[in-house]
Amino acid sequence: MRKILLVDDEEGIQLLYQEEFQDEGYEVISAFTGEEALEKFKSEVPDLVILDIQMPGMNGIEVLRQMKMIAPQLPIILSTAYHEYTQDLSAWASDEFIVKSPDMLKLKEAVRKYLG
Amino acid sequence: MPELRKDPVLGRWIIIAQERAKRPTDFVVAEAPSMGGFCPLCPGNENTTPPEVLAYGRSYGAPANTPGWLVRVVPNKYPALVIEGNLDRQAEGLYDKMNGIGAHEVVIESPRHEDIFARLPLSHMAVIFQAFRSRIHDLERDPRFLYVLVFKNYGRAAGASLEHSHSQLVALPILPRMIVSELQGTLEYYKYKERCIYCDIIRQEIQQKVRVVCQNDLFITMTPFAPRTPFEMWILPKQHESGYHNHNDEQLASLADIFSETLRRLDACIPGVPYNFVLHTQPLRTENMKHFHWHFEIVPKLTSIAGFEWGSGFYINPMAPEEAALYLRESLEKGPQEARP
Repeated sequence: MRKILLVDDEEGIQLLYQEEFQDEGYEVISAFTGEEALEKFKSEVPDLVILDIQMPGMNGIEVLRQMKMIAPQLPIILSTAYHEYTQDLSAWASDEFIVKSPDMLKLKEAVRKYLG
Repeated sequence: MPELRKDPVLGRWIIIAQERAKRPTDFVVAEAPSMGGFCPLCPGNENTTPPEVLAYGRSYGAPANTPGWLVRVVPNKYPALVIEGNLDRQAEGLYDKMNGIGAHEVVIESPRHEDIFARLPLSHMAVIFQAFRSRIHDLERDPRFLYVLVFKNYGRAAGASLEHSHSQLVALPILPRMIVSELQGTLEYYKYKERCIYCDIIRQEIQQKVRVVCQNDLFITMTPFAPRTPFEMWILPKQHESGYHNHNDEQLASLADIFSETLRRLDACIPGVPYNFVLHTQPLRTENMKHFHWHFEIVPKLTSIAGFEWGSGFYINPMAPEEAALYLRESLEKGPQEARP
């Protein structure tokens, strides 16, 4: 089963995304902070990461740059409510930039693109 | 007593608040720690950027989008405006709107992550200026675009989101308000005096010597009479020319020479100061304009814009440009501590 590391500090988002992606046949591992995400990134070796940007402590951009240092080819999707982060060139390290939406259509499409 | 000063081109007023006068060392530049980690602009990571539209320095026959480049231009991966589509201009009652069409490109100025633009070898900096010229020429062929805005944000406080040295170009389907105002202001002066106002400014500044920072055979750097911020500087060609993209390689080498000296003087006054520079040039597909004179404006990020500035359109500047020019002239010799007017 393909494994997704889901990084988001909001419990509601975690619950919703977990349910949706488990229904699609993926294993979902949760991390609520950037620090926890980096630990699980190393220990769990996911196939794809969905990464929020605004989080307490390390933000998603910092986490992204650390993860890409470790595994440059591993797909990472930035998923945020704030479109303005597209102006941050560090976001280019991500494979997709998706603005959160209630129907999750674009996010699901992006996950399928990388994991099938 | 504070002084109100009027910009002769734009008619914009600013306040020189002399009682708030400062020395360069009084400006505190907060050091932004480097984020570290993976850099999408570094060589070897070409696959994280969109395919390049221009590159210099790679050996002949080497494939595109591989390491070996000196300067590389790529479309913005997440652009503010998109290249595909029609403008589809529309009115919504009295309001105008159109599709967000444009070209948003990033000039990666060096393969070395730690390089600083101001300290690049002159021959390298000249290649960056050639890249600006080449992209303006290319984007000019697209009839949807009226203007190419070239700018650089240096330092996080000035808007740079990534420490790897880069600048940006945005081709726009409309003329920026600032350029429209400059075109109007310069045309008004030309109709009255039949001379380019910037040529007159250069002549007067060379004569008066109080706001000139440095010069070479082809270019001059000066602090403007009514600057928005301390140490604001303009770099202008001494010979009249309205279009940046009309300059040849030799002239751009001379531009690199003055640009490098200008930024090194600024850095010697206030080490690590964040700044923006913006190219002001003629609109695309226009003949050489007798009234307009292309130039770069360098605006250090040393003051903040608050309610007064938003409400009045005036800027409050705590340092007179004559004083700033003196500090800048002495800076390379004396450094930030000893320079005194």
